[in-house]
Order: sequence, then C-alpha cells, then structure tokens
Amino acid sequence: MAGLISRGFLGRRRPAEVENRLPPGQYLVTDFPVLSAGPTPHTALDRWSFTIEGLVRSPVTWSWEAFQKLPSQTYSVDISCVTKWTKLDTKWLAVSVDTLLQAVQVDPAGRYVTAYSDGGYTTNLPLDEMVNGQAFVAYQFDDKPLEAVHGGPARLVVPHLYFWKSAKWIRGLRLTERNQPGFWESLGYHIHGDPWKEERYSGD
Amino acid sequence: MQPMLEWQAGTVTAIRPETRQTKSFTFALPKWMAHRPGQHYDVRLTASDGYQTQRSYSIASPPESLGEIELTVERIPDGEVSPYMHDVLMPDDQLEVRGPIGGYFVWDVSLGGPLLLVGGGSGVVPLMAMLRHRAAQHSTLPARILYSSRTAEDVIYRDELERMAGADRTFEPFYTFTRQPPAGWTGYRRRIDATMLAEVMRPFDKRARVYVCGPTLLVEAVANALVQMELPIEQIRTERFGPSGA
Amino acid sequence: MDDDETDMNTALMVDGNAVAGQLEQIFGRDMTMAIARCAGCARDAQLGALMAFIRGPGVVLRCPACQNAIARIVETPSATYLEARGAAYLRMAPPP
Repeated sequence: MAGLISRGFLGRRRPAEVENRLPPGQYLVTDFPVLSAGPTPHTALDRWSFTIEGLVRSPVTWSWEAFQKLPSQTYSVDISCVTKWTKLDTKWLAVSVDTLLQAVQVDPAGRYVTAYSDGGYTTNLPLDEMVNGQAFVAYQFDDKPLEAVHGGPARLVVPHLYFWKSAKWIRGLRLTERNQPGFWESLGYHIHGDPWKEERYSGD
Repeated sequence: MQPMLEWQAGTVTAIRPETRQTKSFTFALPKWMAHRPGQHYDVRLTASDGYQTQRSYSIASPPESLGEIELTVERIPDGEVSPYMHDVLMPDDQLEVRGPIGGYFVWDVSLGGPLLLVGGGSGVVPLMAMLRHRAAQHSTLPARILYSSRTAEDVIYRDELERMAGADRTFEPFYTFTRQPPAGWTGYRRRIDATMLAEVMRPFDKRARVYVCGPTLLVEAVANALVQMELPIEQIRTERFGPSGA
Repeated sequence: MDDDETDMNTALMVDGNAVAGQLEQIFGRDMTMAIARCAGCARDAQLGALMAFIRGPGVVLRCPACQNAIARIVETPSATYLEARGAAYLRMAPPP
C-alpha cells in the first residue's frame, strides 16, 4: 500500500526513551483512543451479572454487589491495540481471573476460554494465558469508575495480548474444549495475538 | 464501465481560512472528473517510515469548477490529518486523494426540489457544494438551508450564503446558534428540533427533498423528527460526520 | 444515563457513507445506494444509511433499526475479508 510521502508528515511516534517498551510496529499514544464494533451498551448495575460457565463442574454468577466484594487489586500495565497504538502505564482496579476461577472447578477438557460481552462481542484465548495474574476483570480505570465508552461497567484486560482480546462490557467467560475464534479472530485476525511477535492477522 | 477508483496526487493551489477552525483547500487534480454535489474524496498521508492514515472530506466546490476540487476542513485538535492540512500544508504541496466517492448522499438539479438542506458545523460542506451547483446552473428550484452553528464566528460561508440569498429569491438561508448568537440576533437560538424544522419546511411541506449532514447526534435528531412529521423516508438522505472539535 | 454520556457514545458512530470508498474498491462500483435487508428484523436500508463503526480492527455496519451487525470488513496486508451474514440480501441496480 505504498503512497506518496507527505512532506512534513511525521506520523506517530516511537520515542527513543520508551522504544524498548513498544512492541514492533506500534506507536505511542498518551490519550485513550475509543474504538468499538457497535453501539455502547448500557446495562444497569442492578441487572448486570458476571458468569463463569461451560466446561466447569457448575457455573457461577455474581451480581454487581457480589462482584464488588471480591478481593481486588490495582494494576499498572501497558496495552497495545492491533490498530498500532500502545498506551503505557494504564491503571486499573480489578478482580484477577485467578480469583474468579477459584469459585469454579474447571473440567480438564476446558482448556480454552471464550469471553463474551453485552452487544454480542466475543474473543477467545487459552485458559493458561488467563491465569497467574495474566488477566483481570476491571471496573475502575485511572481511579475512576470505568466509563461506558471504555467498556464499563467492567471489561476484561489481558495486557500481554493485543487489546481486542480485552473484551469491553464483559458479562462472562465460557470454558471450552476447542479454541473458538471470536468476533475478530473469525474474520482475519490472529487466533493468539501476541504483540511482541506481531501476531496481528491469521497467517502471521 | 466506471473508471477505477485510484489514488492521485493533487496539488494545492489555494488555501483560504473560513472560520477560526476551518480552512478551504483547493487542489488541482491531474485526473479530475466531474463529481456530483455531496460526494467526497478520501485523503491519505504517508510518513517516511511507511505509517499511513486516511480521512474522508466532502467536496465543497461544484462540478462546474473544472479541473479542481475544494475541500473545507475543520481542524480537529487531536486529529491526524486535519492538523497536518492546517498547520503544514502549503501551496504547491501535493496531497494524495481518491475519489469522487458516494452515490447515496448526492443532489443535483436533475433530481428536482424543493430542496431542504439541514446542516451542523462542518456538515454544511457537502450542502454548500449542492447550493453552489444550483447557483451555477441558475436553477430556480426552491431551496432552503437550515444551518446550526455554535456562535456567529463558526458560520462557514456566511458571506457567500448571504450574497446567494440576495441574488436569488428562490433561495433562503436560516441560521440557528446553539451557544452564542450574534449581537441583536432575533432568529433561532437553540438546537434544531421538530418545531424549527416544521417552520422552515412549511412552504415545502411533504414535497421536500431533504439532505441532513453533520455530527451524528444532530443527524439522528433531525432524521427522527422528519420521520415523525411523516416525510416519506425516500425523500430523506443523511450523512453523519464523526465528532467535531470542542 | 446523562446527556454527556449519550453525546460521547453516539457521537462516535458514523454511517455507510464513511466506507463508501472502501466498498467501491471491493465491489468495483458505488455501493452506498445498494439496499441491505436486515437478516434480523427484515428492514431495508441503503448501505449509506447503515450505522458504521470504523475505528476498530475492522468496519462493522449495523442495522439502524435493530443494531444487528449486517456486514463486517477487515483489511489485512494480504487479504480483504467481507462477511455479510447479517444481510438477508443486498439489492442493487443491475451491473452497468
């Protein structure tokens, strides 16, 4: 897709001082871009719930109140979107997926997870990439309740993978036997999505 | 067969400030083709490391301006392309463009009237192409524009609209201001609503061909109001722009 | 839901006109006037009038009535993907 080089157009930056923190092909942003696949859902907190289901002994569901009572922690992580922006040191208050999984007994066959959201969005990843602190369900960003445009009331955050895996407006995790391509994975995006290996598209 | 849509390098021949946030850029195009009023061009920037970004801008000029196009662009503070165009681009620079594009949001005199144009902010740009074309064709199809701006300083093409109205009794502009009207203003001073639309549309009634363009919220509100007023949906065309600058 | 939040959320949405160039490259002609029948609610709308979400990894075109995803487009360096299961059909003028 070569083009005429535009005189004086600097594009985006990879500042030298953070060069080693930017995955290949990524550029630094300091704002928080809003990208979505559909209109912002608005689920009232008294109707919100979070569920873990699928290949588990028995599914479990939390109401918003119950979810807020789960042990939570703050995270500071770098996030990379496949559309090439990376934001450093993002701060979240969240419940780790490890904590959530303590409430269920996962079948040995349940090796993959489909995360599903209000509005119909889905994304998929291996269970072993969600545990040991690798993933969390966040309801505060930058010390404030997570705004709806950024996925509030709660979103998944999986910082070591491209940010399309960090499902906004998340409502649950389904344990599955196979790695089932989600919304973008089923249309040309990489099934895994590691920014450090530039796994953007299927076939990469 | 339609010619293939391909990128070409346009050359900047003129840059003119319109309001504090908007400028009009004229480009000479080696492969110019007559567009239909309402269409747009895609603009693409490429950095030396290969990074690319692209935006669409409505054509402000009428097809009667041969060999060139004018784009009126609002400077979005944290944008990528508009700050480049406003702050860096100079006459004789080249800009990669592709077009003309769009078949849905178009009007020309062959489609008839009466014509009601409703616009907010930079949504007025494609509507202006329609009015300039209508004037160039010396059309007497009745036409009105209802144009929403924040303040008097934000009204793009104000002088030209007034001159057009002065020279043509079949064209009438209406303005509304949502933040601060000009001193002594006795006209509308609120967001466009059903009452305002009904008043402006009254002489045209249900025969109006309506084009609505601007920020999504304005377009939604106007389109919904028109449907409520039982204007046939085939007579309504809409184009939503992304969020404008603060 | 207060006014500010409504403003921000809806403000980000555009319509099919915003992807007219992309659709023309795929189909070889303007597609904004083509009519899509929504597989969800059976309403007809011209592609130019569909809700469009364009800032993410791909484009999603949705029914203005029921918000069902009518079509999705992804462009990768080696391929363009178009999925339109959300359309019962696309109807357009016969080819020129």
